[in-house]
Amino acid sequence: MKTRIIIAIALIAALVPAGAVVGRIKLAALPARERVEVQLDNAFYTLVEEERIVPLLKSTPATGNNMIDFSWSNATIDKDSIQFRPIAISSGDGFRPIEMVNVGGKEVPEVNVINVAYPPNENALVWEVYVAEACAVKVRVSYLISNLTRSFSYRALADHDEEFLTLRNYIRLTNYSGEEFGDSGVWAGFGPKFHKELGQQEDIKMLLHKFAQVPIDKTFTFDWYAHGPLNADKPLASKVLMHYELTNDEANGMGLFPLQPGKVRIFIDDGRGGEAFLGEDWAQLTPLDDEMKLYLGEARDVVCTRTIDFNQRHNVRGDLFDQEIVIKYEIENFKDKPATLRIVEQLNRLGREYWGNTHGDVQWERGPRTTDNFTVDMELGGPTPTLLVELPARPDDPDAKVEKVVVLFHVTLKNLWP
Amino acid sequence: MRRIAIITCLLLIAGSAAAGKNVDLVTLPSRDSVQLTIYNSEDITLVKETRSVTLKRGMNKLQFSWANTLIDPTSVFIRPLERKDDIEIVDTVFPGQKPQHLIWNIESQFEGQVKMEVTYFTSGLTWSMDYVAITDPDETQMTFDGYVRVFNNSGEEYDNAEVRLIVGTINLVEKIADLARRRGIAVPRPDTRVYGRMRLEATAGAIDKAMAMADSGEAAPPEIVKEGLSEYFMFSVSGRETIPDGWSKRMQAVDSDDVSFDIVYRMRDYQYGWRPVRFFIWANDDEHSLGESPLPDGRVNLFRDNGADGLSFLASEYIRYVPIKADIEINLGPDDLVVYETRKMSVERFNFHFYRDSHGREHVDGWDGKSGWVDTIRNYRTEPFTFELRRIWDGDVEYASEVETTLFDYRTTETVFAIDARTKVEYPAAVLQHCGVNTKQSAVKLKP
Repeated sequence: MKTRIIIAIALIAALVPAGAVVGRIKLAALPARERVEVQLDNAFYTLVEEERIVPLLKSTPATGNNMIDFSWSNATIDKDSIQFRPIAISSGDGFRPIEMVNVGGKEVPEVNVINVAYPPNENALVWEVYVAEACAVKVRVSYLISNLTRSFSYRALADHDEEFLTLRNYIRLTNYSGEEFGDSGVWAGFGPKFHKELGQQEDIKMLLHKFAQVPIDKTFTFDWYAHGPLNADKPLASKVLMHYELTNDEANGMGLFPLQPGKVRIFIDDGRGGEAFLGEDWAQLTPLDDEMKLYLGEARDVVCTRTIDFNQRHNVRGDLFDQEIVIKYEIENFKDKPATLRIVEQLNRLGREYWGNTHGDVQWERGPRTTDNFTVDMELGGPTPTLLVELPARPDDPDAKVEKVVVLFHVTLKNLWP
Repeated sequence: MRRIAIITCLLLIAGSAAAGKNVDLVTLPSRDSVQLTIYNSEDITLVKETRSVTLKRGMNKLQFSWANTLIDPTSVFIRPLERKDDIEIVDTVFPGQKPQHLIWNIESQFEGQVKMEVTYFTSGLTWSMDYVAITDPDETQMTFDGYVRVFNNSGEEYDNAEVRLIVGTINLVEKIADLARRRGIAVPRPDTRVYGRMRLEATAGAIDKAMAMADSGEAAPPEIVKEGLSEYFMFSVSGRETIPDGWSKRMQAVDSDDVSFDIVYRMRDYQYGWRPVRFFIWANDDEHSLGESPLPDGRVNLFRDNGADGLSFLASEYIRYVPIKADIEINLGPDDLVVYETRKMSVERFNFHFYRDSHGREHVDGWDGKSGWVDTIRNYRTEPFTFELRRIWDGDVEYASEVETTLFDYRTTETVFAIDARTKVEYPAAVLQHCGVNTKQSAVKLKP
């Protein structure tokens, strides 16, 4: 496909009287790109940097300065973002830094950008460049370009026992910018730097990092107020959601960089040399030390019902009262492995459901009837305690029934009023 | 094509001012010099040009026309620069049948060539500023360059013009472009096809001229001299510039190396959203290798030398006029390596107040609510930084924390943290809110 971004050097070889009709370009060279870097570290802008070796003639009053055209078509380049930086001058087999020279008693760089002119109604600009002596100059042109974007995705493979995960983090480069860049360096701001041919209308998916043996917690979550009754036949049961949880820290074989949002496809080792697809989820931005929670679907083998076992009002004064409640959860684990069930109890919702306005977050305290077969995790904050219940695996004995674990959460909502 | 012309009509018959047939000599004096003073707050440019005109003794007619340009006819003014005592501008006539031109009747006691200055306001010449900042890989210092860009959409080409740019806000009671359209043949509006065709014609061949004009062989960019002028600042571009109609030209005006800056994170959910945002802050002063002049409004493109022979793009933000010694703040947006969380850890209610209804029953109508909060700031960067936290609290609030906290305003608490590299800071606070009839005011009171 034809390159659309063009640099042309126009050298006016002869003195041209002002206002005379002259050809715009007396001599033009089209220096090829020597190097292209695509910087994707900014989530909203893509920066392209290209290096070219530009042959330039000595500036004299007779010939004037070098005029370098930069033009593009069918590519969405932010015209105001274009930077032109002479980097070095060709010297022997290599390059040397640009030095200062004395011109008319003034110290100036031997290659110096005088100004930039923008022609009307064109995707182009013209740099006027002074050059002390004819030379080949390495220049770097950088600009922001649209429709050359990045996205992230993940492929998670759980081992058969669902204790570890191999997480592959991919970056996908989508080039609909209208320009093809050939062999280009690509960097997302973290992870390895790639060298890829970036063709027009091409998508390139690259492995950013493979995190092996990442410990995972398989969690089961019951949240009555989030999902409501399971169905008409089981009005006291509700969905139990399954997640894999992994922590983005060094202790868990990760912690290299914040994990960017993206789709996660989750597979499991089927134990027979193959893989089974478990589902997919959108991963949220996961900073270092934070947990990534991947939704797997609904668990059918962990069943939980919730009833209000006790409900007693205690008047305090006037219409002020405390509400004593015992919430009973009956849980059965039909899996052949033990499991931990997280029960999220939204006490604000509970208060509003039964007693109307809670006037903000409820004040609560645990009561003595609370069973000791769970722990309370306050990770969700004050009025939303999470109960962690350890569930035994279903018994191996064919005649034995699955144990029904009964949890009582005795709570008093304090200082309520209508 | 040049559209502004001065035609000198030397009348041989004194006293006969009406008939064109009396003209026996016409000259087309070219501009000797042009000075453009361009304002950026309004679409107005003061053009000052000098032309040499040959006058005869007695009455002279000087015709000035400005076809298809955006000149305000009411602003056109002429004065002699030489022989001032011998030359009198008698009157200015705007002929009804000849739109977009005027005739000066000039009484001269002198015969020969004199230099005249013509000034007028035109529209369509504008300028703007933009900035490029590149930090070092460690983000401790930056180069800060500013560029002026002059746009010429006036319909007229100004060759080898002296360019002066005014920074500041002026007052105009009428738009120059409106005044230009009001008299004679209206200049088409910019969104019309006629205007577009006119511009195309005006710019045809302009690139060739620009190429030719630029062949000066200058070794250095034009110097931009900055000086104060009343409440304004004037940037004067050294030398002469040619900006063909339809073109714009960008020249460096600010060149500063080794500009130090502070990195500050701000958490203000009401202003920046639910994640802390990163700021680079420095001042337009000597300490920061700046301060030579105010910095006009303009977009700052901020890059970082990525240490791998390239740049990373950090942010693009429009800054407003920055006076000398004022701060410059660039918002880089959220940073994935800095995490802020806030959690309500406890709730308690007490100090209830009751009102008694007509049946003697008591109802709660006032109470105090106390909540415990813990905010956490995690820094995964390898550099320390300052973190500013502001939170708005509605109602009658008493706020207590073991960490020094101040009030930004009557309802906003502010806490500033120095966060070391790769550390976590916790910020506990107790918030007591008086509700219902317990509310005595709407303000936050800090408690020890």
